[in-house]
Parts: sequence; structure tokens; C-alpha cells
Amino acid sequence: MNVQRVSAIFEKDTKDFMKNTMLLMMPVVPIFLALLYKQMSGGEAFPTFLLYLVVGINLSTVTTAGMMTMMAEENEKKTLRGLIQSPASIVDILVGKSLVVGLMSLITLIVSLFIMGIEPLLNLKSILAIIFLFFFFLFLGIGIGLFSKSVAATSAYIMPVMLLFGFTPMFELLGISEDSIVIKFADTFPVMQAIELTDGNSWLPLGIIAIWVLGAGLFMYVCFKKTMTDD
Amino acid sequence: MENSIEVVEIQKTFQQQTAIEDVSFQVKKGEIFGLLGPSGSGKTTTIKMLTGELGQTVGKIKVLGMESDQIGSAEFKAKIGILSDNSSLYERLTIYDNLKLFCRLYNAPMRRIDAILRDVNLHGEKSKTVSKLSKGMKQRVLLAKALIHEPELVFLDEPTSALDPGNAAHIHQGLRRLNEAGTTIFITTHNMEEASALCDRVTFLNHGKIVELDRPGELQYKYSTHAFHVETFDGEQLVINNTPDQAERIKELIATNQMKAIHTDEPTLGQVFLKVTGEELV
Repeated sequence: MNVQRVSAIFEKDTKDFMKNTMLLMMPVVPIFLALLYKQMSGGEAFPTFLLYLVVGINLSTVTTAGMMTMMAEENEKKTLRGLIQSPASIVDILVGKSLVVGLMSLITLIVSLFIMGIEPLLNLKSILAIIFLFFFFLFLGIGIGLFSKSVAATSAYIMPVMLLFGFTPMFELLGISEDSIVIKFADTFPVMQAIELTDGNSWLPLGIIAIWVLGAGLFMYVCFKKTMTDD
Repeated sequence: MENSIEVVEIQKTFQQQTAIEDVSFQVKKGEIFGLLGPSGSGKTTTIKMLTGELGQTVGKIKVLGMESDQIGSAEFKAKIGILSDNSSLYERLTIYDNLKLFCRLYNAPMRRIDAILRDVNLHGEKSKTVSKLSKGMKQRVLLAKALIHEPELVFLDEPTSALDPGNAAHIHQGLRRLNEAGTTIFITTHNMEEASALCDRVTFLNHGKIVELDRPGELQYKYSTHAFHVETFDGEQLVINNTPDQAERIKELIATNQMKAIHTDEPTLGQVFLKVTGEELV
């Protein structure tokens, strides 16, 4: 990894981000939801699943959607080809591009969790779970952004990602039986595993989240390799 | 002389369709080499194979001494510049911010930005946002981006297609200066005047095959009928063959003060292409 190239891409993306109203508005949704939940709670502590719901919404609307939009725009406007044709490596490009969204996600997440009460997540297991979740949502965003070819096309993918991976804890509120195959399947999703990791004694859920991270990483790698050449 | 590009019997097939077939050529170091052909003849595919954006199906490519497996490496990318239909700019950023990014990616000194903007006739415009530029100005910024790191070899795909004659002439001057400084230039163009004026050698690509390769002047001579076209003061148009037995006739026209104008009939490169392939170069 070349620090100068990473910082050049980061600097460019920061300037671009600040002039992109669509991206600037993304952090508003999770912070607004956190404020709404706080208002509705009447001062009571939040259950773990609700805290992770806000984490999931944060990561899906800021990390995944932000990254997806940025990569799709680079792809659509053909500016990504300019970066690929330069001496910057895949790692330089991906790290440089992820830093802005990563920073924005971190700020939004901290603000949202401070509003709701961050204390239940201030332990090693939860911090590791959130770090793993961040990478899962980031890789997914990069992969889909490259795959979708245009910013307009990303709107078709963001909703399923948000509903399936961001809002997974909401499935419990749909009144579906716990024995249902849908719930059992949803329980293996990353955010649900993070809840289990925080509430339970086993470290196994972290392994399951790691498998999701690897899967998303592989998806991202395949999409990037495909973008690098016209073959 | 050392070659910057060596292409030996390459072929490129997309699914069942052959886009490039049995193409071989060399580009000498320090040369301006033109690849000419109509749309769909395989020019862009050839450039993409030379820059590592596409792999060849068959054959051997060597660019700046690097074999196919090294084409695409960071070392290779640092030595080449590309302006193609795939090149683009960050619309929300200024000209300066766009060039600054590429200066840093190529580890070029920041003072290059002012120098290159002078070369493309955009000095004084660097704080303009790219989205507000005309198509011609964007093309000049793209050219500046391709040349910012003073590459050894530049691939230019239709570099002046969106430019007015004045700016195209300015770009030609800049390219000549760049070439005089030692940069090898590989150019594709539809503009035959541009090819004649700029290129040391040109090759014609038609349906994925090379049909001619030589210096523009040599090709024009080769496909000339070697006759003289004479116009007299009486308005008569004569075609006189360039043979010893016709010398007296030309001498007589001059001696009797009848000759208004005399021209050789060397065809333009476009006409040469038409003669070779039977197709217009459009």
C-alpha cells in the first residue's frame, strides 16, 4: 500500500463528498431514528436488539449505500478507469475510497449510539462485532457499486440490502413464529449474530460474522477484478 | 533503433468473432505512430491490448521492453499515458484538483500542473469546475491528465476529435514539443490532415487487419499515378504523365506562357485508404 496514493484518493473523495448532496444527507437517517427512539423510550435503557438495529441502519444507509453510490458513480462516469490506469494498486484505490465513508460511518455511529446510550456496547465482543459488521457492509457496498454500473441502478439494490442486512432485528417484530424457516435463516445474518455475541457467552457468532465478511470480501474482489479489464 | 512497441502476429477474439487478426508492427522509440482505420476496424481494441486493458488471444506484445505479463504493473503504468474514450474527469472538482490527484498518483511534481496547462492552452482556467467546461476544454484537460507525469509513451485515441482547428493546432504543437523531448506517441485518428502533419509513420487497419504501413509521404507517392495536372490560361485541364517523352510538352507550355498551374497528383491519406480498401475512412 502506498500512503501518498491512498491520501491523494482520500483528499479527492473528501472534496467530492462535500459537494455531493446525496451523500451528505445519508447520515441524517440513522441519527434521526436514534433521536426518535430516544424520544419514544421515555428514558428507559434500550434492549440490545434495538441498539443493533440502529447499528444495522447506520451501516446499511451510510457505509453500504455511501460506498455503493461512490463506486457506481466512478464506474458510470468512467473515472475509476483513470485510477486503475494509474500506478495505484487495488488496495490503494479501495482503502483511499473507503476512508471517507469509513470516517462518516464512524461519526454517525458514535453520534447515534451516544444518543441512545452506548454503554451496553462498550465491551470487547460488541466492539469486535461492530468492526466486523463495518467491513461486511463496506465490502458489500463496494461490490454492489462496481456490479451495478450506474448510480441509478444502485437504488434497486439498496432496499434489499437495507431490509435484509440492516433491518434484520425488525423481523422479530413482524409476528412471525420463531420456528419459522424465515426467522431461523434471518438469525444467521450478521446483525443477528452480533446481537447473539453481545448477549450470549459464545464466541461462535463472531466466526459466523467473519464468514459473512469473507463472502462479501470475495464478492468485492471478483467485481473489482472484472472492472479492471475489458476482457 | 530501439522499439517502444513490438507487436507480433496478435489476434483478439470476442466469443466467436475475430476483432484483430494477424497484426504485427513495431513503433520505434521517439516516433509518432498513427493507427488509422474506420470505426469498428479494431483501433481501440489494439490500444487496449497495448495498455493491458485487454489480453490478446494469440500473439506477442512487448511495450517499453515489458512482456504481456508485466503490462499492467505499477512500473508499466508509471511510464505510459492514456487518452481514450474511456478517459474521464471528476465533474464536481476543479481542473486543478483533478490534475493534483493524478500528479500525486504518479508522484509527479506539482509544478507540472502549470506547465501542462500552458501546453494545452488552459493556463488561467485551473480554478474552473470541470462540469462547467465545454467539451473541447474537457478534452484538453484529459490530455493534460494523460501527460502530467511526462510519460515515455503516450496512447492517444482521437485526441483532437472535440476541438476546434485553433485548439487542435495548439495541441499539435504541444505534441510535437513532447515528441522532440523524446516521448513516443501512438495515436489513432480519423483526421487525415492530422495524421499527415504529425505522424512519422502510419498504418491502416481495416476489419482487424493491417493493410498498409509506411511513412505518409511514401504511401502518398506509392498510390500516386505520377502524373501532372496542368491548368492553362485558356481554362484547359491537362493530365500529363511523368515520363521522359512528356517533358517537351511541359517545356512547351511554359515556353509559350500557357501554364497557369501545375500539380502532382499525390492522393491524400484518405484517398490512399480508399484505394487500398475500397472503403471510406469514416
